[in-house]
Amino acid sequence: MTPPMQQPTRHPSEDLILDYARGALEAGRALVMSAHLGACPACHAAARFAEAIGGALIEELEPASLEPDALARALARLDTPPTPPAATQRPPDDWIRVPPEVLAAARRHKRWAAPGVWVAPVTRDRRTDARSYLLGIGRGIAVPRHTHRGSEFVCVLKGSFEDRGVVYGPGDFAESDESVEHRPHVTRGGECVCLAAADHPLVPRELIGRLFQPLVRI
Amino acid sequence: MHAIAFDQAGYHLGGWTPARPVIAMSKPGTAADGFADMIGAIAAHADRQAFAGLFEHFAPRVKSYMLRLGAEPQQAEELAQETLLTVWRKAGAFDRAKAAPSTWIFTIARNLRIDAARRARRGDPVEDPSDLPDAEPTPDEAMAAAQSQGRIREALGALPPEQAQVVRLSFFSDKPHSEIAEELKLPLGTVKSRLRLAMARLRDLLGDLA
Repeated sequence: MTPPMQQPTRHPSEDLILDYARGALEAGRALVMSAHLGACPACHAAARFAEAIGGALIEELEPASLEPDALARALARLDTPPTPPAATQRPPDDWIRVPPEVLAAARRHKRWAAPGVWVAPVTRDRRTDARSYLLGIGRGIAVPRHTHRGSEFVCVLKGSFEDRGVVYGPGDFAESDESVEHRPHVTRGGECVCLAAADHPLVPRELIGRLFQPLVRI
Repeated sequence: MHAIAFDQAGYHLGGWTPARPVIAMSKPGTAADGFADMIGAIAAHADRQAFAGLFEHFAPRVKSYMLRLGAEPQQAEELAQETLLTVWRKAGAFDRAKAAPSTWIFTIARNLRIDAARRARRGDPVEDPSDLPDAEPTPDEAMAAAQSQGRIREALGALPPEQAQVVRLSFFSDKPHSEIAEELKLPLGTVKSRLRLAMARLRDLLGDLA
């Protein structure tokens, strides 16, 4: 059993949970949502409820005709016996639970972007420019003032950050859009690790940010 | 990619009967229980006949789902294949107390499609779709999942038609609600409020599941 962790207090909207359940979120955004859902029993239950509706709806679809050899091909592709589920990689003890590909990214692609700041790209969609990434920020460090084109999803995996007077802790979800110009900073505890997803690179609003941005490329 | 086994046997594809009395676990009668038993048989003894039974029921529906979401027929066929192959590989992770078989299969199909969209654009493979390990269900949830599917269909049938329509369009389209509104020639606010009303009504009708 994972140790009990305080439940998140900042949640995605009901509309976003439904978008997640119906499969309308881009892969990186879905990943950020699933990190929050893993930490938040209330949102998880709401997503599961919407998924159950999806399950009922798929049952009532008119079945499409398959190619004549479809079943034979599927049978020929079966592993025998079924691959046992891979041993779940445990996230570091002080992280909330995250999907395996997030852990893999942290392991393989972590790089220091600036003193006290590391990033690790997780997903990237080259056609649309949408991306998700891990961001680790040391205590006392602020992300340079910036805004976003389109919206950005963030879920705190570890530690906490403060943004415009609000403290976001483990499992908390935040969404910011181009109306928000901010400078999130880590004020308490140790390092803060976030999973973030956005449609475009962030837009720096101050010189240090413009210097910082090519390093981070997020 | 997937390991391929060439020991393809001829199976009778008629009515599936469990090789072992796994049905002892569940109340007899509902289709969902039958499918849950088949998934259990795959997990317990790699039962290919159970797989064939699931495939015949779900693969055409998953293909239909993919087509609705705008996949080309060939891609829809392949995603239906991959969905059912994932069912085979992950059968051991299915928990009938947490979800009905159709819900579980829906989420697998949904994740594979999101992932396929990204792969197609990027050109390199990614890891497993991002399903998280689930929290343990409470006894209430377990009860609810077992009975849920028929009741959900009933509740959907009880919605006013214009609400049921936006629910169906929401699930069978990955478009943002703004585009759904355009298609229906309705203001976005109307689509969103219908959807919210519908979800609230479903929660009322299915309170113990929500």
